[in-house]
Amino acid sequence: MNDYIVEMRHITKRFPGIVANDDVSISIKKGEIYAILGENGAGKSTLMSMLFGMYEPDEGEIFIRGKRESISSPAYAAKLNIGMVHQHFKLVQNYTITENIILGMEPKSRFLGFLPSVDVKGTNKKIAELSKRYGLEVDPKKKIEEIGVSTQQRVEILKMLYREAEILIFDEPTAVLTPQEIEFLLEIIRELRNSGKTIILITHKLEEIKKVADRCAILCRGKLVDVLDVKTTSTKTMANLMVGREINFRTEKTEANFGEKVLSVSGLDVRNDDGVSVVKDVSFDIKAGEIFAVAGVSGNGQEELADAIAGLIKSSGSISLKGADISEMTVRERSEMGISYIPQDRQEVGLVLDFSLGENLALKDYYKEPFCKNGILHHKAFLIHGQKLIDEYDIRSGQGAKTQVRSMSGGNQQKAIVAREIISDSALMIFVQPTRGLDIGAIENIHRQILSERDKGKAILLISLELEEIISLADTIGVMYSGEMQTIAAAGSLTSNQVGEFMMGVRSV
Amino acid sequence: MNYIIIEGLAFALPLFIIAIGGIFSERSGVTNLALEGFQGFGAFAGAAAVMAISGGNLAGIETPMFITAMVFALLGGMVFSMLHALLCIPFKANQVISGVVINILATALTAFLTSQFNTVLFGKPTNKFVLGICEKFTVPFISEVPVLGAFFTDVYYYQPIIIAAALVASYVLYKSRFGLRLRACGDNPHAVDAAGISVSKLRFIAVMISGALSGLGGMCFAYSISASFSPTIYSGYGFLAIAALIFGNWKIGPTLLACLLFGFARSGGYKLAQVLGLTSAFADIIMILPYVLTLLLLMFFSSTNRAPRALGEIYDKGKR
Amino acid sequence: MKKPKNALKNPFRRGFIAILGNEKYQGFTIPLFAIILSLLAASLLLLSLGKNPLIAFRSLLQGSGLLPKASYAAKKNILTDFMSMLNILTPMIFAALAVAVALKAGLFNIGISGQMLVPGFIASITVGYSKLPAAAALPLVLIIGIMGGAAVGSLIGWLKHRFNINEVVSSIMLNYIFSYIISYFINTNYIDAVSRQSRYISANTRLTLANIELFGLKMDIPLGFILAVPAAFLVKFLMDKTRVGYELKVVGLNKKAAQYAGINVGKNIVMAMAISGALAGLAGVTYYLGNFNSIQPRVLSSLGFDSIAVCLLGNSHPIGILFSSLLITVISKGSNYMSSTINVPQEISQLITGLILLFSACGAYIKHRVSLAKDEIRDEKLRLKQENEEGDRV
Repeated sequence: MNDYIVEMRHITKRFPGIVANDDVSISIKKGEIYAILGENGAGKSTLMSMLFGMYEPDEGEIFIRGKRESISSPAYAAKLNIGMVHQHFKLVQNYTITENIILGMEPKSRFLGFLPSVDVKGTNKKIAELSKRYGLEVDPKKKIEEIGVSTQQRVEILKMLYREAEILIFDEPTAVLTPQEIEFLLEIIRELRNSGKTIILITHKLEEIKKVADRCAILCRGKLVDVLDVKTTSTKTMANLMVGREINFRTEKTEANFGEKVLSVSGLDVRNDDGVSVVKDVSFDIKAGEIFAVAGVSGNGQEELADAIAGLIKSSGSISLKGADISEMTVRERSEMGISYIPQDRQEVGLVLDFSLGENLALKDYYKEPFCKNGILHHKAFLIHGQKLIDEYDIRSGQGAKTQVRSMSGGNQQKAIVAREIISDSALMIFVQPTRGLDIGAIENIHRQILSERDKGKAILLISLELEEIISLADTIGVMYSGEMQTIAAAGSLTSNQVGEFMMGVRSV
Repeated sequence: MNYIIIEGLAFALPLFIIAIGGIFSERSGVTNLALEGFQGFGAFAGAAAVMAISGGNLAGIETPMFITAMVFALLGGMVFSMLHALLCIPFKANQVISGVVINILATALTAFLTSQFNTVLFGKPTNKFVLGICEKFTVPFISEVPVLGAFFTDVYYYQPIIIAAALVASYVLYKSRFGLRLRACGDNPHAVDAAGISVSKLRFIAVMISGALSGLGGMCFAYSISASFSPTIYSGYGFLAIAALIFGNWKIGPTLLACLLFGFARSGGYKLAQVLGLTSAFADIIMILPYVLTLLLLMFFSSTNRAPRALGEIYDKGKR
Repeated sequence: MKKPKNALKNPFRRGFIAILGNEKYQGFTIPLFAIILSLLAASLLLLSLGKNPLIAFRSLLQGSGLLPKASYAAKKNILTDFMSMLNILTPMIFAALAVAVALKAGLFNIGISGQMLVPGFIASITVGYSKLPAAAALPLVLIIGIMGGAAVGSLIGWLKHRFNINEVVSSIMLNYIFSYIISYFINTNYIDAVSRQSRYISANTRLTLANIELFGLKMDIPLGFILAVPAAFLVKFLMDKTRVGYELKVVGLNKKAAQYAGINVGKNIVMAMAISGALAGLAGVTYYLGNFNSIQPRVLSSLGFDSIAVCLLGNSHPIGILFSSLLITVISKGSNYMSSTINVPQEISQLITGLILLFSACGAYIKHRVSLAKDEIRDEKLRLKQENEEGDRV
């Protein structure tokens, strides 16, 4: 017998067209924090999904507590005391926290004294106790749709603890949190380890690993590159191993050169479908050649701010572009006035996945010549235009402009959107989460393009949840919390911790 | 007034039980346009069983045969609904299309089987099983209370059965462990899967429940309005039930109100035509009442309506 | 570890997968495969009744004028049967096209029968009971068909856009409402005392030339059919080559992207339903003022639902719909003859149709299985190749 609680030996998993994991072997000791580091698409999540029973490996074996197991379902994983917090939370929106936690392991009571039923009331108390014990305080009676992201994450953690999981897998847990919330989460993770749990942390953020992890496995393109002792390895080494080449952390950024005022927003208010106010009295200006970056925790009104400026949702207050009032204009009129918009959700909003690349690259111009004359479309024009952008922006696709966009990788989908929006040569460019889910190469590429557009004299509104991205690109930083613009300041004048405090609404000017 | 209540209830309750069936299926995330076919096939199964057992002579054994019919309608609807479940769940067919196909198939299949049955049993290939009308009872004393008493007068035997079934269904959907999981399936099947519960199995059972309850409802219509099983059973009760459940926001309580509205608008319309001494042609105009009412009410309430989040989505484990 | 399956062993299976797996042709190979499967199932059914399925299928084709019958009555031959089959086919094509257009915009038009009935009724009482000459009456009937259908269709679209009422529910409600209202008017004003239907329209105003003597034969000539086939190509052109089609498709595939691209979603929903309704209206006039010449009160045409299935069978593709409409019409038209020649109940043809639809609905599943099998074969080939290479090295 050895002291490894989890052993994965020679794991290979193929998906149509790619090998997600290629002969990967890792061994994890009981009571350690084991990080799995790799870029997007390196196969981290796939590897852990197999440990959690979402997929089965094509080749290789898994040993849990020294016993060979074939983990065929999450239910079986739970039986082995394995729990997982997924990157996309798996919560039932219209259920209470308690209902979500007990789903699948419902405690019983008697309804009308004889009918077996789910004991929600009694469990509320139990959940409250559990949450207090681990410092994860929640109100068990609240519904998921009423609570924020970081609370939802607590619910996911409580779900594992309720199931008495011993091996806890966290998939990119900090992606949506503020620096302070990240600190708090890492503290929780340490405490969980101290109480005897084994933690597996999937991430691509090196500082987190440096802060909490004991050991770290590095995956690159599906292969295990190395397993390192975190204390004795530099972040630089880890980063190079992860990417497979030398990378420089700094984005080259020249001095800003502001021009005239391009966008002016004042007193902007947005209400959502339920009539709740989500953007409250927001005012700011962006000048030509300026990157105005908005920081904030997801769901604090930033996305609605971008949608309102682009005209996708109704708003009150005034928005003017190059001195002209655009607040009553339609989406199309605004885009013709000079607004480009790279939306947060590329697949759901920015693209029509079942259309060809050529058709998508003309999604905003299809009705103009040369694409359309007298209501008749000219397919050749779509192909020529498509090919031009493909060459210019290095968009990789199987069959050129005829490729169905659904079959393209996320990075190339994003390149296509960015290319389409840049080529329209708008005075204002809105980028919302432009690098979400992309690998380091693609991120560098997008950052370079944002900066080059700035240098060409475009006004840029950048909305991002990644504080790092904001700090490294912004000329001006605005922070939103609960629909309000907390502060607007020149980029150099705020530290990332200060921004974090504004993001949580605990600091005011 | 009594007429309106008695006839209204007799129509509303079978509709209600079909709608509850629909709620089970849709709350689990499976769109169900096939209710029409389910109720028709259920009614066929019940009627065919009665014919086979009684040999066509119902005199003196109406009530036991009625019970037999109900049981077989329940089973028949359930078995037939497995086809929809099969198409929608493992075969991943478009749920709306599957529903339409199931309805067409139900009409064709029951017509074919009815004529086959009649040929074998009675040597005549007719498309009808004559059943007669289900017996009624009146609760003594309470029935004499004004207005309220009408609810206890001339009650079809099937009405208390439906009420009992509805109560059980409400308990299962809202109180039991199965119901908690089922409703979660319609909101976020990934959460259910991650909790170690099979989404496919749960949805399959949900569709079967909808088939069973719809079959029951169809049988009640056959035993009241048409007094027989014939192709007229497919006159849109299933679709009306869908309208009722959408109107009721996929919840059992409000759906009951929607069904009662249909029932009372219908019987009220008939009564009105009678009182005004209108010709039968005018009855047509009055018959639009429930539908116009529904449309108007939907205009006011649709914007606040929330369908189950995962309704109609084909659940694919791999996708996130 | 999974056991390595030997996917390459069965050459028959490999060829089969290669044919069905060709994505370029899957648009028709998969429905065709589904039809073959369902005909096999129907054969089993017929065999179980002790009938020869081949004779049954042949009699279906004979009954619908695609194969010659053994004998014909006076003034009748294969052309007569064929023409009367076309007469039934015409409204079916229009109706299925109507479903397809709505579907492209992501809408489920279940109200075809209502959109048929309204213009059918209006055209009957205005033009049908008039004494207009054919040259004036027929274009008028078509225009009423288009306008009336479009009006009902856009009403449904508007209810969805303005009040967020699910189009399935509103069309079902409107179907009933129109059906009862029209029944009222027929019963009070236009009833034929004997047939209990609306009075027959004048022959001049009918879109089918009924009982015409031609080449010494008596037959029905459906004039509407001349429009039905071009209509399919027109719909294809509209969807593939025009701005309207592009916008409808974006709305159908991704509403959020449509909004983002500056496309007016509401306008397009109403537009799609209007076009769909117009086609349904054409189905209505070719049905009530062509195929038939009167309207039965309180009865909605079953075409409303059948067309949805036909559209699905044709893969919602306008040209595919021409073929699927033909198939379903042949089965229903031929059923009479089949039941008389081999003595099976006529309902069996409906059942065959039902089976075809059932198997077609599984098209997505068949496609899924085929692509799985394709991957398996590819992986296997890859593995063998690797093994060979390793073998060479050793």
